[in-house]
Amino acid sequence: MPPGYPKVYPKGKPRRMSLDAVADFFYFGFRNLRKQLSIAVLDMGAVAVLWLLMNYVIIRFSTGQIGYTLVPWWIFGVGVVEAAALWESFGRSFGHRVERLELRRTDGREPTLKQRVLYWLLWHVSVLPLFPLLLVPSPHERGSGLELRPFTMEGRVPRPWWRTSTGIYVAWLMGAALTAAISVTISWEDLVRLFTRAGTTAKFWRSFFSPDTSIILKTIRELVVTVFMAMTATSFAVLVAVPLSFLAARNLMRGVVGRFIYTVIRVTMSIIRSIEPVVWAIFFLVWVGAKLAPFAGVLALFVHSVSDLTKLYAERLESIDPGLIEAIAATGANRLQILRYAVIPQIVNPYISFTLYRWDINIRMATVVGMVGGGGIGQALFFYLTGNLWKQAGTVMLFIIALVWGIDYLSAKLRAKLA
Amino acid sequence: MAEPYLVVEHLTKVYERGHVVALKDVSFEVQKGEFLVIIGLSGSGKSTLLRCINRLIEPTKGRIFIDGVEITKLSPRQMRKFRRKIGMIFQHFNLIKRATVMTNVLTGRLGYNPTWRTLLGLFPRSDRELALKNLERVGLLEKAYVRADELSGGQQQRVGIARALMQQPELLLADEPVSALDPATSHSVMQYIEQMNREDGVTVLASLHFLSLARRYGTRIIALRDGELVFDGLPEEIDDRKFKEIYGEEAEEVEVR
Amino acid sequence: MARMLPAKVERGRLRRRLIALFLDWMSWGYVAYGVMYFLNDYWWRIPLERFYSTLTLPPWGWPAAVLGTLAMAVVCELTGYSLGKRALKLEPKRERPLTREELLRGRAGKPFWRTQWGVMAVLLLALTVALGWHIVKIDPEALIHPSPRAREMLSEIFPPDFRYFRVPDPAFELRGLPYSILDLMVLTIFMALLATVLGAAVALPLSFLGARNIMGFSPVGWLVYGVVRGFFNIFRSIETMLWAVVFAIWIRWGSPLAGIMALTVHTIAALGKLYSEQVEGIDPGPVEAVVAAGGSRAEVIRYAILPQVIPSFWAFTLYRWDINVRMSTVIALVGGGGIGDMLFYYKNEGKWALLGAVVITIVAVVWAMDYLSGRLRERIT
Repeated sequence: MPPGYPKVYPKGKPRRMSLDAVADFFYFGFRNLRKQLSIAVLDMGAVAVLWLLMNYVIIRFSTGQIGYTLVPWWIFGVGVVEAAALWESFGRSFGHRVERLELRRTDGREPTLKQRVLYWLLWHVSVLPLFPLLLVPSPHERGSGLELRPFTMEGRVPRPWWRTSTGIYVAWLMGAALTAAISVTISWEDLVRLFTRAGTTAKFWRSFFSPDTSIILKTIRELVVTVFMAMTATSFAVLVAVPLSFLAARNLMRGVVGRFIYTVIRVTMSIIRSIEPVVWAIFFLVWVGAKLAPFAGVLALFVHSVSDLTKLYAERLESIDPGLIEAIAATGANRLQILRYAVIPQIVNPYISFTLYRWDINIRMATVVGMVGGGGIGQALFFYLTGNLWKQAGTVMLFIIALVWGIDYLSAKLRAKLA
Repeated sequence: MAEPYLVVEHLTKVYERGHVVALKDVSFEVQKGEFLVIIGLSGSGKSTLLRCINRLIEPTKGRIFIDGVEITKLSPRQMRKFRRKIGMIFQHFNLIKRATVMTNVLTGRLGYNPTWRTLLGLFPRSDRELALKNLERVGLLEKAYVRADELSGGQQQRVGIARALMQQPELLLADEPVSALDPATSHSVMQYIEQMNREDGVTVLASLHFLSLARRYGTRIIALRDGELVFDGLPEEIDDRKFKEIYGEEAEEVEVR
Repeated sequence: MARMLPAKVERGRLRRRLIALFLDWMSWGYVAYGVMYFLNDYWWRIPLERFYSTLTLPPWGWPAAVLGTLAMAVVCELTGYSLGKRALKLEPKRERPLTREELLRGRAGKPFWRTQWGVMAVLLLALTVALGWHIVKIDPEALIHPSPRAREMLSEIFPPDFRYFRVPDPAFELRGLPYSILDLMVLTIFMALLATVLGAAVALPLSFLGARNIMGFSPVGWLVYGVVRGFFNIFRSIETMLWAVVFAIWIRWGSPLAGIMALTVHTIAALGKLYSEQVEGIDPGPVEAVVAAGGSRAEVIRYAILPQVIPSFWAFTLYRWDINVRMSTVIALVGGGGIGDMLFYYKNEGKWALLGAVVITIVAVVWAMDYLSGRLRERIT
């Protein structure tokens, strides 16, 4: 410890049973609970995924069917828990790795076998019922004289990855996942076609050099619609996302109510974001009717953009420099003034940059949304594709590529200027 | 002796539910017009102490009086009003980087103007004139409409001083004002602060890294170590033994000219 | 050389002024387009569908429009600080030092809505909103009063029907094989996995060939760099969905391999670009150190560059994995296979309750993958 470094942790427990002591107990208890639980969940998850994948591969290759477990679910459950417990007690598990911790004796030395066995036995009464984890240190740590402490390489030589348990685990996982993935997604006939039927796409490429001139004007018209769809969706999304982003920034939303609003908005947004614009388009097409196809497309893009922009904006807000806020507050400014002079100047350019980025994405998305009937160029493309009009489809694709490339270039240029 | 201008009594600040102690029972007094320098290692609590004085950080325990007012008892609203009298400059200048020097200087008047006007960026003519006067004083009149991030470090800190001057402060808190500057620039910045102290009668509390600077500019020095007050006296009273006590056994004094 | 310099600066300024003029011209052209559009639509009552982009003008109309907008641009250029000049930061030169009074008024004396470029910008913005509103056929009425079909959908979709989560739906099959929601979801994740792994594996070596600082400045270096970068740029601007179309025709409509190939190709291009930008942005210090120690080019890559870029490579790959999972859920729309097949099947059949179950499954998986990759990326960087 460098000289002058504050002595961070005073020794000893709180002396008397006060309200503070109770609050402290729960504060540190829940921190411990969270740490231990996250390790346990990570390990159990890791074991379960590997188990399921292995079974998947075995079933796939022995019967050709799709299946997930060879054993009854309760054996599966007990097995996963027990494997995780053993892993945590006798090695440096996946969870330990992720949390950057390791199991050592309280004096910092390597645990003995006896201690590890004790740790493993007590793990069952400590981690499984959960509430003993509120005690710091937890019963299984105290009982075995071990503790989880931050991992350090100091004074040690690393093992090669194939001699660490996590390394072996990841290798197995990758092997099983790739085997399963290849066996289920790629069939022999498809592979043969991939290598023998490249010629079938020639009709596309040919139309790239001799586009169907009769549909060019119509295509440009649809392109204009697509561009405006993206533009309208983006601008309305900005109007909604900017105020929302302030409510979704952790550093601005303090207190119980603030945290509640923050959580609600963040969770809602991440759920909305998980639904692809295509799915939203399906929904809105039914909602407003197919007659207003571009409008439905805009609504789909709008909803997705709001959630995405809110997240991007809020993350930017969370990383603003607190020094400037301090400086403005020190002049006697109130909250609104701080917002105007310390927060907004820091976010204007990043916000514009994110908006451009989103606009770029929206143009790509607008073509995709069009394919489910959301209007614009995508709809035209889908029409030609389903009608086997390859030449026309190729022409439309050529235009889409040109548009996307142009917009991408433009937005990248502008963003580089803003940075 | 006259009534002291600033009184700090048993000031304590703890973080992390009492498990990190930044300040431990610090008490001292400052007379009006003094140039008090706070020294100590990084992490010894200098910044926390300064920020407790204008309550950018809420103290855990203890009382602070400024000019007879117990500021630790003020409501947030009253405190905001009170802060107008306390200028502050920072190690990393904390300017609005994308705004002009003029805008940055004018932010010193935020507390004096109605909110709606400042939100629109409308400052009264008198404030603008004052801003130009203060810019002239720190020698940056020509740069009034240059963006703040186009200036050099020393110039930026002078903008920070001009911003503090706009508040027409009685007390100036300077949090390591020259740590991010090279030695030559440091002196020019320190001289502006000294000028404020001598000519405007502003009481200055400055935390400094280098003892040589503290000796050169301070009229009195206090030293913190691990959040405790370990020295309170005149600059010349710090001898080799005291120095080791403040900075630890391995430290060597470095001259900054 | 010293005498050349001002001329060069002047030439640069001239070029920039020309670009500024061009920008002004284009913005006036846009205004003209907007005006014509609304004239067509409101005044002459010409049906909308025919006049998005093609403007019917009298024979003298086209030259008049081109020259008229150019004239407007020139006038703007000459009379003040036009939008084009603002964009290129061609500020008017100042000869004398500022007076006290000017300093006092400053820029704040002239808010942007009273400058020429400000007016133009506001005009363009308003025009865009108006055009957008019109072309897209925004109809708040339709939003507030959903169609009868929508009501039917809403009433059916809650609660979603998870009957076929584990058991295959007898009505639905792909190429003669039964699939449950879970089976198809797993298959979709596998598609994304394979595409990401393959894509990253190909993009990794390519990215070094597409990095300026690795390839050096020899003719061969330029050539390889140009080819690789060109490949990245072209293949990246062809959307995954378009690639899926190509591969669906190539292999078979609805084959997962088509989806994987589409995702892979786009992943190679996108990751390749991100990777090589990362390689170009490294700290040159360690490279110098390894070269100074007598390292070969391969050793430079191994000991000076890879350690610097590996964390961000992982972060980009995880990010791409996240995108691929999202994409693979809908790629079936254009014949790429995966759970999208089921999604669009139920949508076409109007089985909303079953569709709801599929959508919820997709959301749960995409959300979980997003969360996982986000957490992992936090860990890495």
